[in-house]
Amino acid sequence: MSSLIFKSVSKYHSFAHLSGKDKVLASGNWTILDESESDWKSHAAAIAQSIQVIKRRLQWKKLLVRLDLLSVQLNKPDLWDDPVHAGNISREHGSLMAKMKKVKALEQELLENIDMIKLAREEDDIELESEMLKALLQMRINSNEKEQEALLSGEHDSCPCYIEVQAGAGGTESMDWAKMIMQMYKSWAQRHGYRVTVVDEMPGEIAGIKRATIKVDGEYAFGYAKAEVGVHRLVRISPFDSGKRRHTSFAAVAVTPILGDGFTHVQINESDLRIERFRAGGAGGQHVNTTESAVRIVHIPTGITATCQNERSQHMNKDSAMAVLQSRLDQCEMARQAQINAQHTQSLTDIGWGNQIRSYVLHPYRMVKDLRTNYEVTNPDSVLEGEIDGFILSYLSTLLDKGEDCP
Amino acid sequence: MKLGLSRACLYSSCCASISSSSMPSLTAIKPKIPIFLRQPTYSVTSSDLQKWHGWAKNLVSSVGSSFVESDNGPDSTLLCRELNWLLEDSLENRSSSSCFSFPACKYDTVDEIENVMLRISLDDLYQLWKQRIEDRRPFQYIVGCEHWRDLVLSVQEGVLIPRPETELIVDLVSDAVSNNEELGQGLWADLGTGSGAVAIGISKILRFYGRVIATDLSPDAVSVAMFNVQRYGLQHVIEVRRGSWFEPLKDVEGQLVGIVSNPPYIPSDNISGLQAEVGRHEPRLALDGGASGMDYLLHLCNGAAAMLKPGGFFAFETNGEKQCKFLVDYMQNEIAGSFCNLNIVSDFAGIQRFVTGFRQ
Repeated sequence: MSSLIFKSVSKYHSFAHLSGKDKVLASGNWTILDESESDWKSHAAAIAQSIQVIKRRLQWKKLLVRLDLLSVQLNKPDLWDDPVHAGNISREHGSLMAKMKKVKALEQELLENIDMIKLAREEDDIELESEMLKALLQMRINSNEKEQEALLSGEHDSCPCYIEVQAGAGGTESMDWAKMIMQMYKSWAQRHGYRVTVVDEMPGEIAGIKRATIKVDGEYAFGYAKAEVGVHRLVRISPFDSGKRRHTSFAAVAVTPILGDGFTHVQINESDLRIERFRAGGAGGQHVNTTESAVRIVHIPTGITATCQNERSQHMNKDSAMAVLQSRLDQCEMARQAQINAQHTQSLTDIGWGNQIRSYVLHPYRMVKDLRTNYEVTNPDSVLEGEIDGFILSYLSTLLDKGEDCP
Repeated sequence: MKLGLSRACLYSSCCASISSSSMPSLTAIKPKIPIFLRQPTYSVTSSDLQKWHGWAKNLVSSVGSSFVESDNGPDSTLLCRELNWLLEDSLENRSSSSCFSFPACKYDTVDEIENVMLRISLDDLYQLWKQRIEDRRPFQYIVGCEHWRDLVLSVQEGVLIPRPETELIVDLVSDAVSNNEELGQGLWADLGTGSGAVAIGISKILRFYGRVIATDLSPDAVSVAMFNVQRYGLQHVIEVRRGSWFEPLKDVEGQLVGIVSNPPYIPSDNISGLQAEVGRHEPRLALDGGASGMDYLLHLCNGAAAMLKPGGFFAFETNGEKQCKFLVDYMQNEIAGSFCNLNIVSDFAGIQRFVTGFRQ
């Protein structure tokens, strides 16, 4: 059965090459036009792709092997000699069977729809064709939702998060780049209806930012944003270079989940903290009237720091910085646990600033390319305006492939 | 009548409601309503507001670092942030202010021709920002409020703008109360309360029976403090009295479990060299601590010995290390036997700022 769907998928490959659109997906090689294009091949290909993602999430091949094994055991005549064991086997078999059947039903439905629409076209039955097109579109929407669920099933994926951007070496040009990246995330988050709050922002002397942290509030903010962790590279003619030379600059992105009350937090001892007023000068107290009340908190045992300067009172800046510190300590603890518990290591290996993940070239040609997935887009402007979902989703689906190798 | 700790007693002597017409004659001024609390009755077009914002930003860039160089005043980054806050306070819909602060963002909820509602007129916005830059009028007087701890306190000319350092007094009281429940249930005094900041801050950490009397000599301060107390619905916990230091507290002598104060402590000689926002606009009464800056701190030490119950706690803010050490030395030697467990506490800038201790 599953081989059937692969066959039909590979058919779309050829269509893809023929139509030659620029949205080539990295994981498959078929073209998928927008839902609004009413192109049945695009619908079918998108559904097939969603099914693939769902299968990867289920670790499909292993699931089939396991099912075979369980079936063999279930057929043993002496199975019920040990009723507890038999119960377990039977339950697991039932649950895996149900999962498999759901996916197979999806595949079956897709194949039937494809056959029907082909038939309708052969026989010039316009009514049937439009009906089947509608059915495919509905199926595409549903399977897309299921795909997203499959992609975002990590323990902390549903949490809000902090996104932190830090300019690399290279002065004003890279500080400007850091600001562009931050703006990209702000726009991305706003498009998704997430609430964005600037927690900390350190402007550059001439332009851009040295560093900034935003809080992104909303469902699955961390699940998506975690795909952005790493170093982002920009190549362009620098507007800050009077010689109009080409510059390469870097900005690093870190993403930290904000764990809700349901999770265990690292206990912070007050005595382990050093709290400092930021940019304080002179005699202070009654001598000074300032609206600057930024606070930096250093967690002495780990050296981890957090700064907040965006609130209007020192107390609120301290609270906000404490929340950032808590998340960072929680994340460190998760990374430590993950090392102990190797099963989770895969999803957490990239914590911290990570490696270079994406290249944005504005000159001599124009392209944004993800180095992890080879997903690429030839319109950097749209990416910098926050259209990064393609990058995020393709990365999240490659994470599933990695998961396939896990025990 | 001696003021007991009973509620009825505080009730009867407590301040009249600010909003009522029966304002006590001792209050000199009618408190101004901070911008963010006013009704959004002014309709302006987004583009007119953008124009003002652009003008205001230009004014900021013309400042550069000149204020920093002349008297360690605000730099343009800080002024830009203040500008955004002014906008935030003035707009009916706070969140739409972000559309002005991030002009690069393409998903503005405000478009060019759309009208927005403001809490003050556009003319006032021009006027106020001009005052901020040209007269160095403190930002907090411009917007009529100061964010302090988790409070938003009304402030205006004639009343000291509470400082971030002073927030720590509340934490010091909180620590003392958590170590000794009795302190949380007794009568406290905040002397020279100004806007009422410390009194309101500590009243929130006192237990059910805890009460605070806040005093100030300035009628302006008394009236603003009363306004803030009302706004936080604490008129049954905090009583504001007008008078100099311990003078209005004669009826509770020896009954206080805690005294806190941020008295004027700047040496008189330093007043003329202060940052423009402070020296030109804030009340000298709240800043000038006499020749050495110690006049009122010493007065407080002496008074506290008589006013506090045994075991009672005090926390005073000072000008820094020199005054802290002087005070501790004074209490240990000149009035030995009155206080114990004296402690010097630094602020977040690392300056020795507070002296705390207990009545023996």
